[in-house]
Amino acid sequence: MRFSIQREVLLKPLQQVVGVVERRQTLPVLANLLVVATPQQVSFTGTDLEVEMSATTQADQIEAGEITIPARKLFDICRALPDGSKIEFKLNGDRVEVKSGRSRFTLATLPASEFPVIENIDLVERVSLPEATLKGLMDRTAFAMAQQDVRYYLNGLLLDLREHALRSVATDGHRLAVVETTLTAGVAAQRQILIPRKGVLELQGLFEAGDGTVELEFGRAHLRVKRGDVTFTSKLIDGRFPDYEAVVPIGADKEVRVAREALRGALQRAAILSNEKYRGVKLEVSPNKLRIIAHNPEQEEAIEEIEAKTGVAELGVGFNVNYLLDALNALGGEEVLMCLRDGNSSCLLRAPESEQARHVIMPLRL
Amino acid sequence: MRKIVHIDMDAFYASVEQRDEPSLRGKPVVVAWRGARSVVCAASYEARKFGVRSAMPALRAARLCPQAVFVPPDFSRYRAVSKQVREIFHKHTDLVEPLSLDEAYLDVTTPKTDYASATAIAKAIRAEIFETTQLTASAGIAPNKFLAKIASDWRKPNGLFVIKPEQAETFLAPLDVAKIPGVGKVMNAKLEALGVHTCSDLRAFDLRELERRFGRYGLRLRELSLGIDERRVNPDQSVQSISSEDTFAHDVLLSEIEPMIRELAAKTWSATRKTDRIGRTVVLKLKTADFHILTRSHTPPVPPQTEEAFVALAVGLRERVDLPPRTRYRLVGVGLSNFIDADESLAQSELF
Repeated sequence: MRFSIQREVLLKPLQQVVGVVERRQTLPVLANLLVVATPQQVSFTGTDLEVEMSATTQADQIEAGEITIPARKLFDICRALPDGSKIEFKLNGDRVEVKSGRSRFTLATLPASEFPVIENIDLVERVSLPEATLKGLMDRTAFAMAQQDVRYYLNGLLLDLREHALRSVATDGHRLAVVETTLTAGVAAQRQILIPRKGVLELQGLFEAGDGTVELEFGRAHLRVKRGDVTFTSKLIDGRFPDYEAVVPIGADKEVRVAREALRGALQRAAILSNEKYRGVKLEVSPNKLRIIAHNPEQEEAIEEIEAKTGVAELGVGFNVNYLLDALNALGGEEVLMCLRDGNSSCLLRAPESEQARHVIMPLRL
Repeated sequence: MRKIVHIDMDAFYASVEQRDEPSLRGKPVVVAWRGARSVVCAASYEARKFGVRSAMPALRAARLCPQAVFVPPDFSRYRAVSKQVREIFHKHTDLVEPLSLDEAYLDVTTPKTDYASATAIAKAIRAEIFETTQLTASAGIAPNKFLAKIASDWRKPNGLFVIKPEQAETFLAPLDVAKIPGVGKVMNAKLEALGVHTCSDLRAFDLRELERRFGRYGLRLRELSLGIDERRVNPDQSVQSISSEDTFAHDVLLSEIEPMIRELAAKTWSATRKTDRIGRTVVLKLKTADFHILTRSHTPPVPPQTEEAFVALAVGLRERVDLPPRTRYRLVGVGLSNFIDADESLAQSELF
């Protein structure tokens, strides 16, 4: 195997795949990238057995072949070479020689046959989506994913493929984010898939806001996403996501409509004096007024007051201020509508005229 | 030269039960929860005669002493008594470091009362404890914590023992290494295998060899064998962490560790019940066969509120150990840290 390539052309695909490689592995070959040269192109693949990322690029003077090379070292070397370098790769026995100008590196390899690739994902459904739409869905929900929760099915993001809509849902058990987009082409089967947290973060890193299209392939136990020269494949979480629609409150009829930026600013200031660990703030609603109160263990106090369109006579409820801020950031828009019921019930946040994005937050009992 | 007193209540929980329930007096009493996995919290001296010890599985205690009366622990009562005892300590010095509800170190180098000696203070404290609570305590008086703790155990129960600075070396020389706090079954067996039985053997053992075999702990052992212990009495009594750990008889694989984690987590959980504070971070500690220590921790948004939740978190942390699956481990520990006061704890409600 041999090929030569411009440093700048190589860096982007390397960057896209190297993030998948874990710093500590259970198998030595997982520290490596699979490099496959065909007469037309060269591909680089990294995996942690759960998430696989593969990127393809053009190269010159290709002699076909395949091998695996230490990922981190390869990336660090290419990154550290001067701008505009031409880099040559050549396999000599069980070593790969990397040459550029007067620099020369000899790297250890492992055979390509040892590299575990996910071949067939048992395709069930295929959906094409504007990249910006999918990115938007993920960016506006992924923050609510759990982290290392023992309920492993919460450590990921649910894509809920419905007849004419795709929903993205995440929850850590205390708050829930649901965002929906309409699909122009109907799909054959409704399906729910659970993408593990790491895969979600990799996808978020991969997507850009441009006007490209991505192709989603839903497999029996995998998701494959194709974007230009990059193919992402992730195992799915094999678990039952909770019935999220059941926790979106329906009896929350006490509506409070506020300017999003004003609320965000007030919460951010009040948060300074909230308990560092629980981040509790109390919301007090009275006609046309919303008060935000925070206390910390030192008995310091913050009180913020903002205008609100509401007829609610009196209502007090506590929340983790971070959950409120996360939801407000994800919602965007001029105004938000908070739907409350009482001090022990959850709050639904959404845009006043749209149910496309819904955020549910459970209260803190202060 | 510092003057340290170690006060240890005698069979504390069991004695409180016997005090409050006259029918239990003179009988073997075991304080433990009911249940297959429960461990003994305390045993009265009558029960100890049968070999019942704290931290032993309750089922085993029942086998050793079938006539024992089993009483479920009532920590609110023990806490109340412990508070009375601490008030007595604080009459004599502000430098009080409680180790648990029934044990504390006092630094009486410059006491608030004008007794002539540390021994006189310890006598006064024991008398006041008995007067206030009708319970007995044992006291050890020595120039440091290590010696004071050994001393309080020397005439237990209801005793007092002094180790004067000039007596320390002679006193320790014939002392069994197993008496050194921190030397458990496994460490003791290792030392025995090296021919080290007493503190004087420890002193004679090659220091570099000791360090090579046991690392920093080897050096610490040598210091202790000479009666050197510079740890200060730390009056900041708030619990920072609680943990239990155990060394295996044979090194084991990660896949075999779960029952051990469950057992230790149960022990840690019952220990946390003795404090008013709430631990937020669950910690799993492992030591590999080649003495490499790793810890994994997790701080859930809401502290674990039940034993089951805590155990599940501890077991779950195993998933985050990323050493090769063939790695063998010699020790596992399960703990809670990052403690906060209960009134700081707000309850976050759950969606599901």
